[in-house]
Amino acid sequence: MMLTEASVWGPVQREMAGVLAGHPGDVPGVVDQLTRLQAVLSQVPPLLEGNPLADFNRLYLTISENVLERLFAGSFADPGFVARLDVEFAGRYFDALRQWSDASVACPRSWMLLLQRIPCPGTGPTASAAAGINAHLHYDLPFALVTTLDFEGCEPVDGSDQHRDYLQINEIFAERIPGLRRGYLDRWQLLIDMMNGDLDDWWQGSAVEWTRDVAWRNTQKLWPIRHDLRAVAAEQARLDRTAEALGKLLLSPMGSLLQ
Amino acid sequence: MASEGDDAPLVGRSGILASLRAGLRAGPGGTAAVFVTGESGVGKTRLLTEVASTLGDDVAVLWGACLDIGDASPLHPVLQALRHAGAWSGPAAPGSDGAGALLERVSHELRELASGRRLLLVLDDLQWADRSTRQLLLYLLAGLGEINLSVLAAVRAESLHGSHPLRRVLAELRRLRSVQVIDLAPLDREATAELVAAVAGPDAAAEDAARVFKRSGGNPFVAEELARDLRDGRVELSDTLREIFLSRVEELPPTAHEVVHTVAAGVEPVEHALLARALPLAEPELLEGVRAAVAHRFVTSAGDGYRLRHRVVAEILEQEVLPAEHALRHRRWAEAIEATPGDDDHARLAHHWQRAGEPIRALPSVVAAARAAEELYGYAEAFRQWALALTLTCDEDPRRTELLGHAAEAAHRCGEHQRALSTLEELAARADGPGPCEIHLRRARYLAAAGRTAHAEAEYEAALAAEECTPHEKAGAAAYLAELLVQLGRYADAADRAREALDLAEGTEGSTAALVRASAALGVSLALREDTDAGLAVVRQAVAIAERSGHPDDIGIAYQHLAELLANPLSSVEEGVVVARRGAAKLAALGQGRVHATRLLAIAANGLFRIGQWAEAELLLNDAMKHRPSGADAVEILLARCRLYVGFGDADKADRDLDAVATILAGGGARHVFPMLTLRAGNAMWRGQHDVARAAVQRGLTETKSDDLVLLGILAWHGLRAEAEARAGGEIPVDQLAVRRLQSVVDRMARGAADATGPVRAMIDAYLDLCAAEISRIEERSDPELWARSAAAWDRRKQPYPRAYSRLRQAEASFARRTRRAAATAALREAYETAQAMGAKPFLAEIVQVAERARVPLAVSAAPAAEVQGELAALTDREREVLAAVAEGLTNREIGRRLFISERTVGVHVGHIFDKLQVRTRVQASRVYLGAA
Repeated sequence: MMLTEASVWGPVQREMAGVLAGHPGDVPGVVDQLTRLQAVLSQVPPLLEGNPLADFNRLYLTISENVLERLFAGSFADPGFVARLDVEFAGRYFDALRQWSDASVACPRSWMLLLQRIPCPGTGPTASAAAGINAHLHYDLPFALVTTLDFEGCEPVDGSDQHRDYLQINEIFAERIPGLRRGYLDRWQLLIDMMNGDLDDWWQGSAVEWTRDVAWRNTQKLWPIRHDLRAVAAEQARLDRTAEALGKLLLSPMGSLLQ
Repeated sequence: MASEGDDAPLVGRSGILASLRAGLRAGPGGTAAVFVTGESGVGKTRLLTEVASTLGDDVAVLWGACLDIGDASPLHPVLQALRHAGAWSGPAAPGSDGAGALLERVSHELRELASGRRLLLVLDDLQWADRSTRQLLLYLLAGLGEINLSVLAAVRAESLHGSHPLRRVLAELRRLRSVQVIDLAPLDREATAELVAAVAGPDAAAEDAARVFKRSGGNPFVAEELARDLRDGRVELSDTLREIFLSRVEELPPTAHEVVHTVAAGVEPVEHALLARALPLAEPELLEGVRAAVAHRFVTSAGDGYRLRHRVVAEILEQEVLPAEHALRHRRWAEAIEATPGDDDHARLAHHWQRAGEPIRALPSVVAAARAAEELYGYAEAFRQWALALTLTCDEDPRRTELLGHAAEAAHRCGEHQRALSTLEELAARADGPGPCEIHLRRARYLAAAGRTAHAEAEYEAALAAEECTPHEKAGAAAYLAELLVQLGRYADAADRAREALDLAEGTEGSTAALVRASAALGVSLALREDTDAGLAVVRQAVAIAERSGHPDDIGIAYQHLAELLANPLSSVEEGVVVARRGAAKLAALGQGRVHATRLLAIAANGLFRIGQWAEAELLLNDAMKHRPSGADAVEILLARCRLYVGFGDADKADRDLDAVATILAGGGARHVFPMLTLRAGNAMWRGQHDVARAAVQRGLTETKSDDLVLLGILAWHGLRAEAEARAGGEIPVDQLAVRRLQSVVDRMARGAADATGPVRAMIDAYLDLCAAEISRIEERSDPELWARSAAAWDRRKQPYPRAYSRLRQAEASFARRTRRAAATAALREAYETAQAMGAKPFLAEIVQVAERARVPLAVSAAPAAEVQGELAALTDREREVLAAVAEGLTNREIGRRLFISERTVGVHVGHIFDKLQVRTRVQASRVYLGAA
């Protein structure tokens, strides 16, 4: 299954390196980089534009364009925060792709689940997109939030402008994520129950509806320990494991239940 | 850390080394930095050593080591290095200038140390650096320390993948011309083979090298160790850093084993004498152990002590030993440090006692470390020490009350608002805690800092209503509340509270601070709401009270209010400038209040800029820079100066200041991003980089709050102007999507303007006029009426620069339409005079160009054109202008637009040119022109 490191991206290795050399600093830059990434991804053999990562990237691009439009329209309470969060958030996705390109052991396992499947047929676009979103929301997002809040001199306070803006971004994601709409929640809960308790912590044991508030709560957990590198590393490993377990579920035959 | 001669050669890094050395050469602002990121074992330290050791004598090298003890003391790596060089004797006596004075002192010592040479500051393991160190680094890199400095730092990539604050800092810095972030990748197959051959000998089989590459993933550290196994014929058991180290540790003789473990638990560099105290070994045994640890490549020895060759070893060993063993080693370290006279590294001692599992013994050093951190203005570090001290004491401990008070204040000062408030609640609940009045006032202060102004207001009111509060305390509460209300724009309420404060302060001893603040708040409220003169009189009173008290803070605050009120464009800018300068001079005479003095000079300079006295403004700002501002104050000054450079057309100096601002802002400070972006856009436009200007504006628009209409106005105008310039220049295509977005921003402003009042409304309207005129220019129907309207609006705002700009465009549009030539000429001359008075060179050049094309003489006759020789001598001036445009490749239509003549007239000119030059095509004509030029 693993590709050799010399040919992770096949014939478009160089184009991919070119795109990944960029570190966009604002939201228009992020949208631009995702657009260029989409063009390169659709040339990765053998599945070309039908490969699982291209499926995720397409969805992520749409969501990012939506965020950009809302920023231009002045829909957020604290656009500076949203813009930086968007940049930080996307930066972690690009990081994962760079680590995958370098065959680095540090590549998050929750991302590797999807990246390993790039050449594999049979993963539906819905499952692929959901697996990518899962890694991005449940692993990348809390860290992106901590970094952004720290930089902006804010704190993760419920009911703050930043929290409300975060929830608005939630809505954008929730509207766009196939297979995870509210109507599917009963089945989603059923799947969670079938897991052997690995996800209790993530799910906080309660019958919550699917919401990205999970990431906000994890941010609040991370906040007081953010200066402690060891504690952060441990939390990172824990979140990666949880996201990986969820990702496996989404990509398993059981995941099709959600669609 | 690696320095012994038995290292394998450095392979596969020659390209990186070259770019490292190039990156460390001074950037445009005199400073440069290279950050090397990479995973453990990828060879970062090795590269740092290699570069630092091969520099010439013209560079002074200073090594700083960051510590992984969680809460090192502020500025540790830099102060430690200075101490080692005998150049640091401890913090100076606290003054009112705080952190800024400390930064200046550190820079001074660094300058002395460099003694005229360039200074290279090498920082390994930067991920462990504290917040103060990061801020110092940004201060120095922004050039504020006036040192020719290069920074070479290594950062572990693993740390950056979480939420490490350096991540954002590096993301911001990597956009600068003077900074490089180099991501160190593992070695490739060939380089790994070269390394294997160097260690195991040239006879190593190719398949062995391939296997090493596969197993090590190109990580040079792992590859080197695997190659050693190969050379020594050892069984290959391990291929991760962890396994390799553990198997090597097993092979050590017992005393060396103990030495390695003890050094690993210590704080580097570990001095020999201290190690001898910490290890229950006789001297000869100890030496033997150290020697073996060095020989087995675990420990390195340098002049200042021992270090682990690779710090990862400490992390691996820590997971391997029993907790009891671990605690014992730390206790030995703590005891050894306590037994050593003169060692006052409290953070280090606190670290060991805490790890030794002896909280009671840790407490004194934790408290001492917190106090030491506060002396260095490291409130983030101090807060963590105070918080740690709280975890070491139980509820019944009488010391806890004092600790809570310190912890809450430090949290407030370093921006941990929630923790400040929750700690204060715990303090409030204690029987021996401060009275309710102090609690109300502190809570109000913390809430206001957290931006929860409604709650802050309620707390001040509670203090005013509380029986326990003295009139003195109540006067303070009312005065601070009045200040807060002014900030919120609630002038009527502010005036009421200010009057209440003045009544309470009357006859109360020692209430000068409250009197000054209340008078200032009252005066500002009156002036902005009802009666400018009455308000000014009250603020002048505040100044008089402050001058009598002689306290620099009072003087600074009173003068700032008065100067700001006067420097308002609708008031008396000149007087505002005079007042601001007088205040700054007063503070300078006191030798204190440098921060206030800098702010006053900034107010004066901004006033001078607005009324077009740019040369004077520049002098003032250079003067302000001599006060060595830091943080937000430095940013204000640099932005004000940069705005002048953009106006002067000194694009390089403008860029330098912009880079300095971006460097400081890499540590945080969203408020200043917008002026930085508009200046970047303005500078890019003079350079013809309209796409760069566009990107800066687009970023600004996505990050601006929808209710900040003035800011949106500035950005929208810059954006539309960039598109209009792109249209006129013809080299960079107009971005229609950007134009549509800007148009919708303008619509939003127009809708929102209805709700705005007073000077804000006037400002928005003036920007709306500018935008409407600029849109007509983009649509190639530049309307002189719209430009005239904009000029009039800015004239009412008493802002000569946008007024003159509008006049230029008005003239240009009129000439293009060939209407109202007299009015256009007058407008152009007005713009010319203003631009000349300001010294706005690029603007002036454009005016002159328009005047030449329209054949309008400006007030002062331009220098006579050089005598034209050769083939072109036969042409008239007008024909030469047309020919020049033909040579640029413009069409007749474009030429007509540029020279304000019809397309047909251009055709006639071109025909004459062809005849006179005896050519038949535009290409031939162009060739003649270029040959002659």
